[in-house]
This record gives sequence, C-alpha cells and structure tokens, in this order.
Amino acid sequence: MTQGATRRFTVGMPCRLPGALITLACCGVLGVAAPRGARAQTAADGQTLFAGMCKACHTIGGGALVGPDLAGVTKLRAKDWLARWIAAPSKMLAAHDPTATELFNQYNKVTMPDFGLTAAQVASVIAYLESGATTAAAGSAAPAPLPAGEAARGRSYFVGGTGFTNGGPHCISCHSVAGLSSLGGGNLGPDLTNSGYVKSEPAFAAFIGAPSTTTMAAIWAKTPLTTQEQADLYAFLSKAAVQQREPDALLQIALLCFAGAALMVVVAQLYWRKRSKGVRKPMIARTYSMKRG
Amino acid sequence: MDIRAQVSMVFHLDKCIGCHTCSVACKNIWTDRKGTEYMWWNNVETKPGTGYPTLWEDQEKYKGGWQKDSYGKLQLRLHSRLKGMANLFFNPFLPTIDDYYEPWTYDYENLFNAPEGDDQPTARAVSMITGKPMDSIEAGPNWDDDLGGSPVYARNDTNLDELTEDEREQLNELERVVFFYLPRICNHCLNPGCVAACPQGAIYKRGEDGIVLISQEKCRAWRMCISGCPYKKTYYNWSSGKSEKCILCFPRLESGQPPACFHSCVGRIRYLGVLLYDADKIEQCASVPDDQLVEAQRNMIMDPFDPAVISAAKANGISDAMITSAQNSPVYKFVMKWRIALPLHSEFRTLPMLFYVPPMLPVLAKTRDGTYDVAGLENENLGAMLSSLEKARMPIKYMARMFAAGNVGEVEDVYRKLIAVRIFKRAQKVKDYGQAEVDSALAQGKTNAEEVEAIFRLTALPTYEERFVVPPLGRESAVEAWEDPLDHKREAGFGNLVQITRRRF
Ligand code: SF4
Ligand code: SF4
Repeated sequence: MTQGATRRFTVGMPCRLPGALITLACCGVLGVAAPRGARAQTAADGQTLFAGMCKACHTIGGGALVGPDLAGVTKLRAKDWLARWIAAPSKMLAAHDPTATELFNQYNKVTMPDFGLTAAQVASVIAYLESGATTAAAGSAAPAPLPAGEAARGRSYFVGGTGFTNGGPHCISCHSVAGLSSLGGGNLGPDLTNSGYVKSEPAFAAFIGAPSTTTMAAIWAKTPLTTQEQADLYAFLSKAAVQQREPDALLQIALLCFAGAALMVVVAQLYWRKRSKGVRKPMIARTYSMKRG
Repeated sequence: MDIRAQVSMVFHLDKCIGCHTCSVACKNIWTDRKGTEYMWWNNVETKPGTGYPTLWEDQEKYKGGWQKDSYGKLQLRLHSRLKGMANLFFNPFLPTIDDYYEPWTYDYENLFNAPEGDDQPTARAVSMITGKPMDSIEAGPNWDDDLGGSPVYARNDTNLDELTEDEREQLNELERVVFFYLPRICNHCLNPGCVAACPQGAIYKRGEDGIVLISQEKCRAWRMCISGCPYKKTYYNWSSGKSEKCILCFPRLESGQPPACFHSCVGRIRYLGVLLYDADKIEQCASVPDDQLVEAQRNMIMDPFDPAVISAAKANGISDAMITSAQNSPVYKFVMKWRIALPLHSEFRTLPMLFYVPPMLPVLAKTRDGTYDVAGLENENLGAMLSSLEKARMPIKYMARMFAAGNVGEVEDVYRKLIAVRIFKRAQKVKDYGQAEVDSALAQGKTNAEEVEAIFRLTALPTYEERFVVPPLGRESAVEAWEDPLDHKREAGFGNLVQITRRRF
C-alpha cells in the first residue's frame, strides 16, 4: 500500500527533485524494514500467541472444545492450507474451501475469528504446533469439569437478578438468548441461542474462564466468574440453547413499538388538546354557518 | 429614577390613505429574501377587520402579551416557566401559515413566452411555498382592505365585542359604513412579551435607543417570541431557521435617516423622536388596572426639560445631544404635551412605544327624521359631535377598546381636542363657525388657541425635520463598551459578521 502510493507519487512528479528525494528516503526505510520483519520465528513465539489467542477454543491433545483438538494437525493438513486458514478463516469460508466448510459444519457453525496475524506470526504458530508440544502436558488443556449447576440460578445471573461474586456485568447487557422476554438482551455480543460456545461444557468452561475476544477478555480478566457461577450459567445457557427463539418475538417487538407509539400520540393529543388548529379557516366556516343557520 | 432613552413613534391615523407604500418600502429592503416571503414587518390593515395575521388581537387564540396572575403579578399569557419547559418542543399557540397567508407571485414569463393562441396569455398565481400554480388565492396580508369581504372579516373584529347587536348592525348599513387604516410595525415595547418569552435569551432591547432586536446568532428557532408578542410582530424565517422582526431600520437611524416606512410615507402620518422614561416604573405601570394603563404609561415618560430628569439621564450616560433630541421630539408633543396620541391595545401590557392619533373619520352623518342624510352639512355635525360623541359614526367604545384598553374617557378627551382644532381652524379659514362656538369647543377640548395652532402646524404642515427628529445614536460610544470603535468600524463593514446558514438537525 505504502509502496504503491509512493510509486504513484514518483510517477506523478518525475522530474521534481524533492519528490524524488522523498521517494528515495521512503524506499530506504522500507529496505531496512524488510529484513527485520522477516527474521526467523521460533516456536516460543508461537506458544505465546497460542496461549493468548487459540487456547480458549483449542487444546493440543486435550480433546475438542469449541474447535478441534490440534494434536497432529500439521500432519493432517498441508502446511500452506494451515497458513492460509490461520491467517484468514473468513476468506477461506467465503471461498467455499471444502475442508474449511466441513469443519465449520462439524463444529456447530462457529466461525473462527480473523485474528489479523502477520505471515511471520502464522509461521510461528505453525512452528509451535509442529514442535509436538501438548497443552495437556502443561495441565491447562481441559479445564476441570464444572460442578453441578442450577439453571434457574443461571438465568438469574444472566438477566441481572443476582449479582456476581466479583461484580462482573450481567450477560444480558450485551447478549441475548432464547427464553428471555420478547425484547431479549443486548446487541453488542452475539445471540447465544444455539451458539457453539454453549454446546459443550468443556468448551464453555474454557472460553468463559479466559475469554479470547477483546471485549470479553477486558471485562472478565478483572472480575472473573467463580466456578459455581460458571456452572449455573452453563446449566441455563445449555438449556436455553436447545430451545429456538420464539418465532413471533419480532412480531411482539413490533406490536410493543406500535402500542408505545400509539400511547404517546394519545398522550400528546390529550396534553395539547387545546392547541391552535388555525384561526382564519374556522372563523370563516363559523361565520358562514351562522349566516345559514 | 433610572432614566433611559427610547426612540418612539406616532402615527396620525387621520392622515393615512391606505396606500401600502410603507409596507412595500419595508418589503423591498428587508423581507424579499428566501424564507421571508410571508412577512410584513410593516403592514397596513383596514379597521374594522381582522388584520394580519387573522384575528391577531384575539389573545384567547394566540396567547400573546401579559396577564396578571392570581397574586396580581405580571405573567406571560403564553405560559409559566414550567409550562414553557413542557411546551419547549411544541408551542401549541403558533399561528399557522394560513393565518398569515400563503405567499404567492405570478408567472410573468408566460406573458412573454406563451405560444400564439386565440386568447390573451395570463400570468397565473404561483405559490411561493410549493412553487406550484394556485387555483384560488384564499387570503392575503391585506385581504379585507377597504372592507373587502366585510360580512366575514369586519364582522369578526374582536374590538366590536362590546357593542350591542344593534350597534353592530348599524355599522353595516349602507350610509353608515365606515372604516379607517391601521398601519402597524413593531412597537419596540418597554415591557416586551417577545423578549420575555424567548427561552434562549436571543432577543434584547438596545441600551442606547430601546430598539428591540433578535440576535440572528443566538436564535434557536424555539418560536416562543411569535406567541409572546401580542402584536404578532415577530416572524419565523423557515429558511434560515431564525426569527426576525422589524429592526426600526437601525442602520438608517445610525446614519441619521428615518426608517424607510417613515421616509416613504405618502400621507406623512409618521413621526419619530426620542422619549425619556423611568425604567424603575416599568413593572408597576404594567400592572395597574386596565382603565389606568394609558395614564400609567404617560407617568413613566419623563419631562426632558426637568433639570432633575436631565441630571439623572446624564448619570445614566445619556448624551447631551440625545437629551436635546428628546426636547425637540414630536412624539413628546403628541403623547405628553397635547395628550392626543394613544398606545395601541395597552391591555396587552407590553407598554408599546408606538402611539396613534385616533382617526376622526367623517365624524357623523346628519340625521333627518331619524335616517341618515349623507349630504348633510358637516359644520352642524362637528358642533353636534362635541356634545354627543356617542353618536360618532364609529362607536367610541370601539376606539376605546383599541386605543385605551376600554377607557372611553381617555378617547373622548382626545376627540374633543381634535374637534376643537377643527372648529377653530374652520372658523379661521372657512369662517363658518362663530366665536361663541369656537370658545365652547376650546373649553370642551381643554385647550387654547396657542396649543391648537401648534397641533395644527405639526399635523398639517410639518417639515421633514419636524416629523423626524432622529437622535444622534452615538453607536461608536455604545460600541466602546466591548471594542475599540475604530476596530469595530473596520470589522463590521457591510452585512453580517457571521454567515448565517440554515441549521441542519
Ligand atoms: S411589538 Fe411585539 S415584537 Fe415588538 S417589542 Fe413589542 S412584543 Fe416585541
Ligand atoms: S405609506 Fe403612510 S399613508 Fe401610505 S399606507 Fe403607509 S402609513 Fe398609510
């Protein structure tokens, strides 16, 4: 992009000395920058990236969570396929790549996020996967199973009836899920009805324990949920998730809006019932009707 | 005593010929812009009639001006402060465009460009709101001019409310039909309803001359002033999103010329000069009972020859030149010395500073055997009218309602003096009245030969300088309060300092 722009700039001003100098300077900077960007990546870098971004949904040798277990994935898939996939999953899906589509369907249609990694970073993640390390060995692969949860309490946490021990915000402020009232919950986060994250207990626990998305991570790092809270929420969400959102919810919202608007019109009509509705026309109408009468 | 100067006006209604030159002069200078098509800062209406906008005097409908609340304190008729907040986004008593009129122009091009045909081409009326041809024009700013449509318009005049049904009927009898013109501009009131109603504080009364102005920078289109002014003399410009009103041609005044409507007036009915008034008395004067309002307003206006007033004026920073101008003011003579000019609808309690000399009209038609004889002798009528003002062609109650908040006595005093002037001058020039009649007329008019001569002179033969005593406004020294006058002069130049554009919401 920068280079393109620079080139256009040079073409546009071929014989201007300052322009040429600036171009040269830019090329110089880029020339220096290129080798630095290409410096060899180590599996250690990959491990850091994995812990930050992948761990919430994947294990290596610890079983499937939201996404598949990645043990031996470098043998299963071609390296360049892996590189393209990790760099931009959404592009692969949009291009109807057969393997990508199959995985997408198999794992509850949860799209893997585009993390926007550079080619070098992707390479380091692959290097880490190749290194044969297992997250299971590190003890953080599958989180400890959750205790038994109670759906009713989970619902109360979700909608804000009961406060979280550490003071975290209630889920309803950003999320909606089937089984709430017609108006549902917030729109900032995804609707959790049938979401892949609430389909299996380990997946849920892994994600909610250390969320990988920017917004969730920012919130829950400071005010983590207790395991009992997680369990209750899971109990509620997994139950709610099975249900479908009532098909007439939208209709109910529309009706509510309509009734609200109608009420406001009625109130305004009452409040301003003595407003002036024109003076001249009524005066003329009155005078003529008096004459006739 | 808090003495301030007010540029004030007198309109002598007997002299108005209803030519609308004043309105056109004003329109061409100030309101030929987009968004101002329907505005007439100066308008001339026929009375009896409903005026412009229709029935503007009916405050039951428009809620303009002030009223006294249950504690006897002055309050805007429009709303209390709380109600004002509740109605901020919807003011329920605004006139509709139909109450003014739908402004139109004509398709003049068609007169030149129409293809050859069997008929003369016509210029159709084109609405200046929709831009589409109008099939019928239903109203205009002077729609009931010269009693046009009077069975509807004149009949609904609110000033007729107190007349009996008989008296109203008589007004419609062919021989008795009577009307006069009422030119109106903003009154530049001392207790302006427009200023009080503005939630933005965008309307102000200039310190040095009392001209009431709407800041085009501060106005935020709440349109409360339009309801607040009982004379309906502020208007909303739909294009700029600001309200506008008569500015008394202050740029002309500042360069020593009278306002354009005054200058162009064909009947020479308009007088302009400075009055000194005591601002401490405003609230008290605006709160007296209806029938005392005219006298209370006279009490506020101070004698510019009184040394105490002069020193108080100087203490308030009023210049010597301004005081001299107040001493020469024709308005002071009409309102205070001769007491023949009265404010319009003082019951609105805004203390308007435009005064009217009420019209004599053809005072009375002669009666013969109980029917009116229009060919009757005028001299008999004049004499008769002195003792029987109640027989005036236009009922005196009507005049009292317009010019003295219903106080018939005030209006009768004015008429007696005006009739005395006429009898005196007729005796002098036409010689059809005897000395005895003249003396009795002078006595009844509470006047004397000298005063009558002075009134006659300023009414019939005034020079330009006598009609318009434009004070030296000394804008430079007023500007000194916030800026170096020389800088200001250089920066102000022509036009607006700030470009005024339509706000997009
Ligand atoms: S006449 Fe109306 S617009 Fe003019 S100063 Fe009085 S209240 Fe304001
Ligand atoms: S220009 Fe003078 S005479 Fe003519 S209508 Fe206006 S006020 Fe009356």
